[in-house]
Amino acid sequence: MQDQRRNFREPEKEKKVKKFSIRMQKKLVVLFLIVLLAFVGLSARLILINKENGENYKRKILSQQSYDSRVLPFKRGDILDAQGSKLAYSEKVYNLIIDSKLMLQAKTALEPTLAALDACFDVDVDEIRNYINEHPASQYYVVAKQLTYDEIAPFVEMQNNKKDYPDITGVWFEEEYRRVYPYGTLACDVIGFTTADNMGAFGMEQYYNDVLNGTNGREYGYLTEDSNLERSTRSAEDGKILVSTIDANIQGIVEKYIAQWNHEHEGANAYRAGQLGSYNTGVIVMDPRNGEVLAMAGYPVFDLNDPRSLSGNGLYTEEQIAAMDDEAYYAALNSLWRNYCISDTYEPGSTAKTLTIAAALDSGAISGTESYYCGGVYEVSGHQIHCNKRIGHGMLTVSGSLEQSCNVALMQIGEAMGRSTFMEYLSNYNMGLKTNIDLAGEARTDTLIYDPETMVASDLAISTFGQGYNVTMIQMASAFCSIINGGYYYQPHVVKEIRNPDGTTIERVEPRVLKQTVSETTSAQMREYLARVCVDGTGTLAVPAGYYIGGKTGTAEMYPRKQGNYVVSFIGFAPIDDPQVVIYVVIDRPNVEDQPHSNFAQEITKNILTEILPYLQIFRTGELSEADEEYLKNLGILPKDVVAEEGETVGEGEGEPEEGTAAPVGQVDPATGYATDPNTGEALNPSTYAPVDPYSSDLDGIGAVVDEDANPLPQGEGGE
Amino acid sequence: MASTKKKKFKDQNFFDYTLLFVVIFLIVFGLVMIYSTSSYEAASDFNDSTLYLRRQLFATILGVFVMAATTLIDYHLWERFSLIGAVVAFVLVLLVLTPLGIEVNGARRWVGIGPLSMQPAEVVKIEVILFCAVLITKMNKKRISSIKGMFTILMLPAIFAVMLWQITNNLSSAIIVGGIAVVMLFVADSDYLKYILALLAVIAVAALVVYVATHWESGSFRLKRVKVWLDPESDPSDTGFQTLQALYAIGSGGIFGKGLGNSMQKLGFLPEAQNDMIFSIICEELGLFGALAVILLFLLLIWRCMVIANNSPDLFGAMLVVGVMAHFAIQVILNIAVVTNTMPNTGISLPFISYGGTSEMFLMAEIGLVLNVSRQIRLRDAM
Repeated sequence: MQDQRRNFREPEKEKKVKKFSIRMQKKLVVLFLIVLLAFVGLSARLILINKENGENYKRKILSQQSYDSRVLPFKRGDILDAQGSKLAYSEKVYNLIIDSKLMLQAKTALEPTLAALDACFDVDVDEIRNYINEHPASQYYVVAKQLTYDEIAPFVEMQNNKKDYPDITGVWFEEEYRRVYPYGTLACDVIGFTTADNMGAFGMEQYYNDVLNGTNGREYGYLTEDSNLERSTRSAEDGKILVSTIDANIQGIVEKYIAQWNHEHEGANAYRAGQLGSYNTGVIVMDPRNGEVLAMAGYPVFDLNDPRSLSGNGLYTEEQIAAMDDEAYYAALNSLWRNYCISDTYEPGSTAKTLTIAAALDSGAISGTESYYCGGVYEVSGHQIHCNKRIGHGMLTVSGSLEQSCNVALMQIGEAMGRSTFMEYLSNYNMGLKTNIDLAGEARTDTLIYDPETMVASDLAISTFGQGYNVTMIQMASAFCSIINGGYYYQPHVVKEIRNPDGTTIERVEPRVLKQTVSETTSAQMREYLARVCVDGTGTLAVPAGYYIGGKTGTAEMYPRKQGNYVVSFIGFAPIDDPQVVIYVVIDRPNVEDQPHSNFAQEITKNILTEILPYLQIFRTGELSEADEEYLKNLGILPKDVVAEEGETVGEGEGEPEEGTAAPVGQVDPATGYATDPNTGEALNPSTYAPVDPYSSDLDGIGAVVDEDANPLPQGEGGE
Repeated sequence: MASTKKKKFKDQNFFDYTLLFVVIFLIVFGLVMIYSTSSYEAASDFNDSTLYLRRQLFATILGVFVMAATTLIDYHLWERFSLIGAVVAFVLVLLVLTPLGIEVNGARRWVGIGPLSMQPAEVVKIEVILFCAVLITKMNKKRISSIKGMFTILMLPAIFAVMLWQITNNLSSAIIVGGIAVVMLFVADSDYLKYILALLAVIAVAALVVYVATHWESGSFRLKRVKVWLDPESDPSDTGFQTLQALYAIGSGGIFGKGLGNSMQKLGFLPEAQNDMIFSIICEELGLFGALAVILLFLLLIWRCMVIANNSPDLFGAMLVVGVMAHFAIQVILNIAVVTNTMPNTGISLPFISYGGTSEMFLMAEIGLVLNVSRQIRLRDAM
């Protein structure tokens, strides 16, 4: 190197080489001083910025950072039915958010991103482009809501594929949960729905809102003592799971028959042309042994997944909806959402005679051996009060007065009691008080019954047969339960268990006996009377084939009177000696000209009981006529071809068809054919039956369910 | 006689280790800061936090070879290349207009083939240093001081400056090219008066521009930048955003900063923090202490350049060093002035620290030149 350099320089050395002159050196020093000055000036500026604005800028930075925290949404708890099927659950969905600012920051991002959005989503790209151009600083613009993961997956894939799609930016997905009701309209009044912000509306969703809701989590930055930003995540706490007493299968049966009856009585040919089969039809099915509500339904129904739709069930035409103003629209929605069974009050009518007679027996005012004469009318302090049978019932026993639903006899029984005793019992039955069922929207009835201090004799007279005071269906059903179950008034409830999100039980709702309404003896007596109503009296139409049930009909003329408007009802229980189920059917103004009889309510009751009694493993004790058998076979309750003998052959499984047997041992639904065929000789051990899920969420599988339940039928029951 | 004397001092050649270590420190510190500032964005955009670091490291390794070469090759060799260099630089700038030109973020400033790309502006800068040094060496003192001589020297740099400005739309590089030439001329010229007059003229023009910017509604983005400079909060969404965020970063650092790697502003608020605004992140993470240390290092670098120039064996070597010194001084001053909003926002990178491969390599080449000049200082002459 050295040599090379020398070679380079030596030929022309010394003589040509110009030196960097002293003057230049001085100027260079001046230049350096200028640079030094500039550096000093800039350093001073740095110090000044820190000194004057340091605190301010620190705060600015922190305020920018605080936007950075992100909500992690909780998952609202599921609602399960008694068998574990999901009535409501929350599904994670994604909102598509545009960050204009971010998208515009990278100058080449806009069009490729819009193209990708166009390819993956059903969105109006021009609209998005306009929005971005008009709001270049916007960071949060919701383009599409509640997309499922499958819907966003193609875009997320593109977004992550930096190689082929390097320019996609400014789009992100906000997580949230969507409430899904897999059964749609089923049990809509009882379940209720949620608004967008996880607020429950109506039913269990509202009553148990706080239990179902969890706590939002948050991913956030916080500052340590040295002002360092640390990230932390507090995960969301999911809501708790409700296990309802509602059984989706029973509920499905109930709603099926409500709808069926209403469809038969609606439309152009109906009495009120063009209207629904009734203003409302409510049914409650309860377990009198613990107050659990097994089914509760009203009519018409709405789709929980789309609660704001009025056109869903053909209730209103599009023109009608368009013609509504806001007030009318919300009034229509509210009446749809209302749970008739707990929110609406009405005069119970003759079903209340049960309460009156039980009170009279229990208080000792009558012994049950009395007889009453009914001449068709009875005078109470100057008022002529008619019996429902204008020509009179003649001589009636206590039992007979219930069987014939005689108003005159009841008024006399009421007189025997006196108004204070009567009212004491009424309040014992919880009339005028809330049942405190765990559902939102229970009506107050305290002003809708007579004040014992001010009521007059005629008030007592009409009260004895269920006019003059108002009740809700749930009040009536709960009181009736207590009368037939030995006198125990259970608080009605629709939730039997609360579980943690991981499935562990944290609270079990035990049956709560609130009071003893009547004695065991009175209760037994009442069961007998009520059973006779369904054999000899007014309630025979409600009896399902092969069963003995007890019950009472009701027909209450609505106020204002004499308009031909009636609330017709039937309340019943089965089996008669050991009540396991209570059913209460109320039809508010059936769409027929001739309303004042309870046949319609009885018809619905019979249909429902025909299906749910076998399902509840309550077995036929009566004989079946050929017609009945045909009817049950068509329903799929009895197997179509093979009726196995119920004898001691259960274990052997050599069931042979035999007339008159009510026990289809181990039979299966021939349509599905998923279980053992008795003709193959296979033993029909119930345990081998286990794989078939009797509580499959498919409501159409009711036939299979019934067969399953028929399986462990006790021997020697059906065919006498 | 002279020859024997030279032999005697042959083994005692000077080498400016101070400059070498300052440069090594700045380069390594620059890599650390590039990783600190870019890792977040690189990870979120490319899923690869070391992307920018690796690219810069690659350029730095190439730069080490280039620097070694220029350190070892006698700088007099380059004298012959001044004209060829001018042609090459000219062609490279024009290449930007051809399909070889690469557009990044809307600015067409790069040329490249395949994975390799470079900024012609960097070639122009080193060429202008070489060209002016050669020209000044060739002219006598009187000619340099004359108006004609001044124009002769400044003509080519002016042409380059206009080309860079108009073709690559890169005003900051044009300012640097012009600035280098003017500073070299200033040192070579014995006159002061016309430079003082020129400075006053520049100040007057600047004042006029500010006046126009504040009193005229104009769509020109440069005028807009002047406006934003005067009041960065007036436009916090766009141009002013970057300036404001840089100021926030500087102001929030305090005396010792938040600690290396702990900047909050680099987390998306100061986009591309590894580029021109890297100094503000240094202020945020290392505080005033770190920032002043960096400024001192650059001052040390410039001081060493001055010392080498003043002791260089000949005028050509001295003028080369003055050119390099001017280059560093102008870029450092302008960069810090922009970051602290002392002047309007133009994109000027901080030597050795900002991200940018071409710049890194050519700056290292220039330092190699200075080191080579330093090697030829005869110790007897030095101090």
